[in-house]
Amino acid sequence: MQTFVQAVILGVLTGGLYALMASGLTLVFGIMRVINVAQGAFVILAAYLSYSLFGHLGLDPFLSILLLMPAMFVAGVLTQLVFVRSLRGEHASEMSLLVTWALALGIEGLLSIGYKTTVRATNTGYANKSWTLGSYRFSEPRVYGFAASVVILLGLYSLLRFTRFGRSIRAVVQNPTSARLLGVNERLVSALGFGIGAATAAAAGALYGIVYPFNPGSHYDLISRLLSIIVLGGLGSVGGAVLAAMLLGVTESVVAVEYSPTWASMSFFAILILVLLVRPQGFFGLRERVL
Amino acid sequence: MSFLRLHDVCAGYGQADILRGVSLELEAGTVTCVIGPNGAGKSTVLRVLSGLLKPRVGTVEFAGDPVGGLSPAVLLRKGIVHVPQERSLFPLMTIWDNLLMGGHSLRDGALARRRAGEIAERFPLIEERRHERAGTLSGGQQKLIEIARALMLDPRLILLDEPTMGLDAKARHAVFETVKSLNEGGRTILLVEQNARLGLSVSHVGAVMDMGVVRLVDEASKLLGDPRVAALYLGGNPDTRANGGAARAQG
Ligand SMILES: Nc1ncnc2c1ncn2[C@@H]1O[C@H](COP(=O)(O)OP(=O)(O)OP(=O)(O)O)[C@@H](O)[C@H]1O
Ligand SMILES: [Mg+2]
Repeated sequence: MQTFVQAVILGVLTGGLYALMASGLTLVFGIMRVINVAQGAFVILAAYLSYSLFGHLGLDPFLSILLLMPAMFVAGVLTQLVFVRSLRGEHASEMSLLVTWALALGIEGLLSIGYKTTVRATNTGYANKSWTLGSYRFSEPRVYGFAASVVILLGLYSLLRFTRFGRSIRAVVQNPTSARLLGVNERLVSALGFGIGAATAAAAGALYGIVYPFNPGSHYDLISRLLSIIVLGGLGSVGGAVLAAMLLGVTESVVAVEYSPTWASMSFFAILILVLLVRPQGFFGLRERVL
Repeated sequence: MSFLRLHDVCAGYGQADILRGVSLELEAGTVTCVIGPNGAGKSTVLRVLSGLLKPRVGTVEFAGDPVGGLSPAVLLRKGIVHVPQERSLFPLMTIWDNLLMGGHSLRDGALARRRAGEIAERFPLIEERRHERAGTLSGGQQKLIEIARALMLDPRLILLDEPTMGLDAKARHAVFETVKSLNEGGRTILLVEQNARLGLSVSHVGAVMDMGVVRLVDEASKLLGDPRVAALYLGGNPDTRANGGAARAQG
């Protein structure tokens, strides 16, 4: 029981971080029907930038989020305008996969040149500290990271739920033609939405760097998990992505402790396949067939 | 000068034109019903008018201004609103949020809420279920909300594409009553109806479309009695069917 609860705690803390990364990815999909497979590379890019800001300027990763989020928001908007927007027509979705994959490889290449391929980690003063509550241990960086993820996700939720702009995002996700007919500027929503997706990656990257070691190739593993999460949650559903991310975190963590770490990542994919057999659209999928 | 005027409009979705020279004029304050077989191009005409589709050639004038090829957002501000044939509510949003989306281009949130409140007074359904998700409503209820939402910007021209499609007699009746009362309020309406008898019975003017052109325009009552139209689009004996249609419209 003791180890089980400890594993659940760890899983929830991990899940929060994945929820943050996945929320942006699924939102972009909802708006544009584009899967930004560079989301993992965005996360790793932000991890490196935060690593450098800490190393050179001593800026705490939690503070670097305040810089990185707006910067990567702008970079995301520009990426959408330059690379993604021009894709039109029948094969736009497939083409966008190729384009964003190329972008991911490009980012990986630049990082490999700039930082070499050695594994790094942002070693803050609290990196290895933890609290004990009863007989349970709470790793400080993970708790902070989880808290920051929750705050940012709540911000995203409030934006979507309570603002005029957020309502227009939801409108485009749920019925793009109808949104256009009501005067929503779909292009603006798409560009800003892509920026929001990149901004979530920025925050998640800074947090990722505190908790996990990374190198330029870490994005492959990340994007495969993120894709599973957003498919399980239902493509386009932010709430679904959060739920699925939590499930991923807890499942992997519990299986790793109770059975074996070798089965950990496999276990989530098993759940994914089982759920999709019963519900092909995932937890909260909007449309039956999108891929 | 007519309120809305299409002249020789050609438009399509890719290679071939679907509309091949559509000409049509609407007088202010009238209800015009477009009838015609499946694939005639009725919805395509409405898409051109609301800016979803740009005409390849031809002119569209609204209240004297050329409006062909403008975006939906601009046309909306000029007073043209389009309730499409497909379901167009946002299913996961509340009915209230759907209504507010109708006022999206107002930019002023307080004004939008006030308008929504006024509209809700006219549609009891909105008052009763404002916090429920739109996707939980029946087809007929959704259509009424779609029409209510279209009123948020106080439009001058309403484009209604087969609003009674798939509805039962009672819901159809509610939709047509709404159409009539909107017109009595002075709005111009362009209605597309699959059920020609029913559509013509609430309209002043009827237009028959086929193969991407408007073949015939006349007073709705004359079209209802026109044996050619009856033979082509109404099916069977005009007199008995006309009465049947009117009875259903009231029932
Ligand atoms: N998005 C589209 N892309 C390509 N072709 C289309 C598209 N929408 C309609 N068409 C074609 O254009 C033609 C006219 O369609 P339209 O929807 O205007 O007909 P309609 O008169 O409204 O028919 P219905 O009574 O079935 O609604 C049809 O042949 C249809 O296949
Ligand atoms: Mg149609």
